[in-house]
This record gives sequence, C-alpha cells and structure tokens, in this order.
Amino acid sequence: MRPPAVSMLNRHAISEYHPGCRIAPDAGAVRIELSGDWTLAVLEKVHAALPSSREVPKGAQALEIDLARLQILDTAGALTLVSFRESIGGTAARFINVRPEHKILLDEVARAASAAAEAAPRSQPIADFIRRFVSALTAIGRDAISLTMFLGETSAALGRVIARPSKFRGTAFIHQIQMTGLTAVPIVSLVCFLIGGVIMQQGARQLRNFGAETLAIDMLGILSLREVGVILAAVMVAGRSASAFTAQIGTMKMREEIDAMRTLGIDPIETLVVPRILALIVALPLLVFVADIMCLAGGAVMSKVYLALDTPIFLQRLNAAVTAKHFYVGLIKAPFVALVIGLVGCLEGLRVTGSAESVGTQVTAAVVKAIFLVLVLDAIFAIFLSASGF
Amino acid sequence: MESGTDQQTASLANGGKEAYAIRLRGLTKRIGSQLIFENLNLDVFRGEVLAVAGGSGAGKSVLLRTVLGLMPFESGSIEVLGSDLSTVEGEERTSIERRWGVLFQDGALFSSLTVLQNVQVPMREHLNLPLKTMNELARLKIAMAGLPANAAHKFPSELSGGMRKRAGLARALALDPDIVFLDEPTSGLDPIGAAAFDRLIRNLQRTLGLTVYMITHDLDSIFAVCDRVAVLADKHIVREGSPRELVQNPGHPWVREYFCGERARLIEKAS
Repeated sequence: MRPPAVSMLNRHAISEYHPGCRIAPDAGAVRIELSGDWTLAVLEKVHAALPSSREVPKGAQALEIDLARLQILDTAGALTLVSFRESIGGTAARFINVRPEHKILLDEVARAASAAAEAAPRSQPIADFIRRFVSALTAIGRDAISLTMFLGETSAALGRVIARPSKFRGTAFIHQIQMTGLTAVPIVSLVCFLIGGVIMQQGARQLRNFGAETLAIDMLGILSLREVGVILAAVMVAGRSASAFTAQIGTMKMREEIDAMRTLGIDPIETLVVPRILALIVALPLLVFVADIMCLAGGAVMSKVYLALDTPIFLQRLNAAVTAKHFYVGLIKAPFVALVIGLVGCLEGLRVTGSAESVGTQVTAAVVKAIFLVLVLDAIFAIFLSASGF
Repeated sequence: MESGTDQQTASLANGGKEAYAIRLRGLTKRIGSQLIFENLNLDVFRGEVLAVAGGSGAGKSVLLRTVLGLMPFESGSIEVLGSDLSTVEGEERTSIERRWGVLFQDGALFSSLTVLQNVQVPMREHLNLPLKTMNELARLKIAMAGLPANAAHKFPSELSGGMRKRAGLARALALDPDIVFLDEPTSGLDPIGAAAFDRLIRNLQRTLGLTVYMITHDLDSIFAVCDRVAVLADKHIVREGSPRELVQNPGHPWVREYFCGERARLIEKAS
C-alpha cells in the first residue's frame, strides 16, 4: 500500500495554495474548476471561494466540478465539496479529474454525510422540560415507596437474624459502632460545644432587654436536650455515615461483589445492611448523650464569660429548669433517626449502577435525603410529643 | 497486504526526516527505582499501521504515555512529525498535539458532554468555527466512526463499550490528525465487534492517510490491519517487522511463543 501523497504535507499549516474556484462555461456543460488547498485550517476561505447556487448557470445539461488542480483535501474540505455538489444539482453534477486519494475520501465523506443526515432526531426543549419535571415529581413518590420496601426487606432480614442468632455478624456490628459512633465523638462534641455557647450568648443578649438574662439558662437547657443535641448529632452522622455506607456498598455493587455474594448464597441485606443499621441505632443515642452534655458545657462556659455566672450557680439554675423528661424526649428520637439515616445510606448504595460516576451521584443523594428526612422526622416528633403532653 | 519492508523503503525513498512520523532514539525511563525502558529505539513510518505488542506489564501503555508527553523520561529523544518533543514548547507543541489524535482504552469521553459535544471539544479548543460547521463536521466524524446518527445526542454512560470506543475514535479524528494512537482498540469487544473495529481502522487509515500507532494483544487485529509489529520486551523493542516476517523468524522467546503458538497459527492460516 502506498502512503497517500497527502500525508507528506502538513495539513494544519496555513496553506500557500489559497482555495480558488472559477466557473468556465463550456459548450453545453458548465465546468467549475477548483484549485488550492481545501482544509479545515482555511475553511473560511473555502466557503468564501465557493460560488452560491445562484451564480451557477441554470439549465446546463451537465455540471462538472473539476478537481485537477486541487492540492490538499481533508474531511472538512470534502464535506464542503459534497454538500456544494448537492446544492447545485445533486447527481446532475459530478466530479471530474479526481485524484485517487481524493476519490476515496470524497466517497467515504458522501456516504457518512448521508448517514449523518438521515434520522437525526431534533431535540424538543419544551417536551423535554415537561418530561424532566414530571419524572422529578414522580421520583419523590418512587423514593418513598422504595424506602418503605427497603424497610420491609431489612425488617425481614432482621427477623431471620433474630431467629438464627448465629447468622449475626458480630464483628461487623462492633466495627460499625466504632466507625459511626466512636470516631464521630470529636466532631460532634466540638460542634455542640460551639452551638451551645452561641445559644447561651444570643439568648442572654435578647433576654437582657427584659432583665431576665438568667432565663437564658432555662432556654439553653430545654432547647439542647429536646432538639439541638439530637439534631446536630443526627446531621453530623448523616453527613459522615450515610455517605460512608453509600460509598462502601456502592463500590461493592459497582464491582459486582454484591452479585457475587448472592450467587454464593449470602444475603447482602443480612451481611451488609443489618449490622450497619443496628450499629447506628446503638451508636446514635450514645452520641446524642455526648452532644447534650457538650451543648450544656458550651453554655456553661459562655455564661461564665458573658453573664459572669459561676458554674455552680449555672448548674443550680439548670437543675431547676430541666427535668429528666426533656432529656428522654430528645433521646427517644435518636434510634428512629438512626434507622432512617442507615436505611437511606444503604439503599442509595444498593442503587449504584456500573460506573464510578454513579457512586458520587448516589453519595450526594444519600446525604441530602438523610438530612432532609432527619429534619422531617424531628418535626413530626415535635408535634406528636407536644400534642401528647410531653 | 504488502509487506512492511517494501513500505519502509518506499517511505525512506521519499526522503529524510519527513518519512518518519515518530522516531524514538535511546529512550531510557525509570519509575521509582525500576528501569522500564533502556535504550529503546523505534521508528514509525508515515502512512503505516504499527502495532506495539508485548506481554502484560512490558510497558506498552507506559511507552504510549511517554510518547504523548503524559509521563516524563530520563534520557533519549522522541521525535514526532520532525520535531523533537523535549525541546518544543508552547505554540509549537500545541501545533503538534493538534496533528495527533488519541483513542484511550475505554474512550475517555467527557462524561458530562454528549457524543456530539465530545467530538467538538478539540474544534472549540483549537479552531474558531461557526457552530453550524462544527455540528456538520462532528456529525460527519460520528458517522465515519460507524455510529448511528441518533448516538450524537447520547451521553457516554448511555453507550455500550464498543460504541464508546467508536465515539472516542470520532473525537480523535475531529481535527483530521496525521497520527492516531490507539490503546488496545479491540479489547473488551466481542469477536464480531472487534473485526468490525479492525475494518473501520483500516478504512479510515486509507481514507484519511493516517499513520496509526496501536497497542494491541489481539492477534486477529495484528494480522488483519497491521503493516508492521514492534515487540516490546526486556525493556526495549526486541523485534520489528511485518506479522508474516515475525511468524517465519521469531528470533526471541516471547515472540516465538506469541506468534508461533496454537492460536496464532490458526489465525495466520485463515488470513
């Protein structure tokens, strides 16, 4: 095979041979003579050189496009030529004096161009928008259904584990408690300490207007124990652990490890989901306790700095303001919130499809949904508990 | 298929530097303390299809990445289209990069762009073309790569492995390159898909006058499309020549095992 002469030259340099075109009416036939380089680099000149279809005389028996003096031709030039031939008369026009290497290219481009032209579906922006909008709406419903189904599946798996305790993955359970609970203690403590301080400071500042600064301690105590401790702990865990669950399970799903487990007769829900959710149900209440204490500690420090109240006085005041009831109201939410976070994290992990990109998408979805559901659940609990007199 | 040596002489007769598309001389490279290439020489002639073969871990991909400038090397020279890559910088370097196209193993398409937009990326980056022209050209390249017209508006995640490779090839061809680098173009394809891809490469190579540098394990590909094979083993190119020459005279244990094994004999007989 002979390497075509074309490749001996640099097609990308601005050519010395300007593309040119001349119409030479012969006897009976119209001849269009082309010259120079017809390449992508000089495409503007190529378009400028071509005569418009009006300039080509009508009614001639034959249209001939003479390529004898054409130098370099690339796909862009060939495409221009092919569509020019279409525009001036389709099959009535033909190329003459074509060099063999140009002919291969022109034929291939003509074939590909006709393939590209047929059935290129036009995009419909409005219909697409409506379709996307509707599917986003129904996605909420589908999410709710699949989460409920997943809750059922997990409960069934939990039931099987309780019936046959030997199936329980103790090591995984303890490991998950460490990962979701123990390692979260520093960050949860720090955040709660700061927020406790902020609540104290802001409360005291507003209540000072009424001469009731010390009531800020009541507010801090009730708010921390009932709401802030559990919400902050849950949001931190949703950010740390829901994402971790999705990433771990998602990676296994992506590498077909989950499928491998199924073929080996191992139930992935029992092995992966149950220990994680149980661990979270144990770890989150403990974290909530830590969060409560740290909120109060932050408030105590702030009251000393801002209100000049000594800690014993702060504690006395706190003791008068809160009862064990407030603490339990906060704590009772923790296992439910933990269940939701664990379910969302594991479910999104199992929804991962083949690509690494989908792991990222699902992790984001898991965190957003988990935090959203934590707040919704908290609101439902607040209404329910205050209606029932707690 | 004509033999590679005829072509070499033909290319060489055409004169000096311009006969070589790629020329590696005395290339030495280490990764950490491990010596990967030692005094490696390789010529790729214009208008030929060269396969770089070698066992797993022989450094085929590293060699490709070194030539492309994605990995540094210690000593030696890499000459592409007559310019020494270690000395050119800036504009001149970009102008060489415009003259090659690369097909990575899984296409390496940008996942956030449609196939059409992927093919247009090099055009947007290097040329100032009106959108209509870019659309036309990109559609043409997509059709030339053998993809159906409705694939243009799909995202890479919606394509099968074979289609992603074709889309990657369309992007590699976007600027009408002189050299195309293919990294295992037929891996992961079924035999029918692989044969179709081989034909596509051969067709495009003839139509566009390409020089093709491809890494491959695939004996079918080697016999179907390659003018010459360079075998990478023991830190350098141990054998070069047309597939037939290497079958008749392997000259190196790995080459013998590869080209004279049971599978190679069947394929060679068939072709």
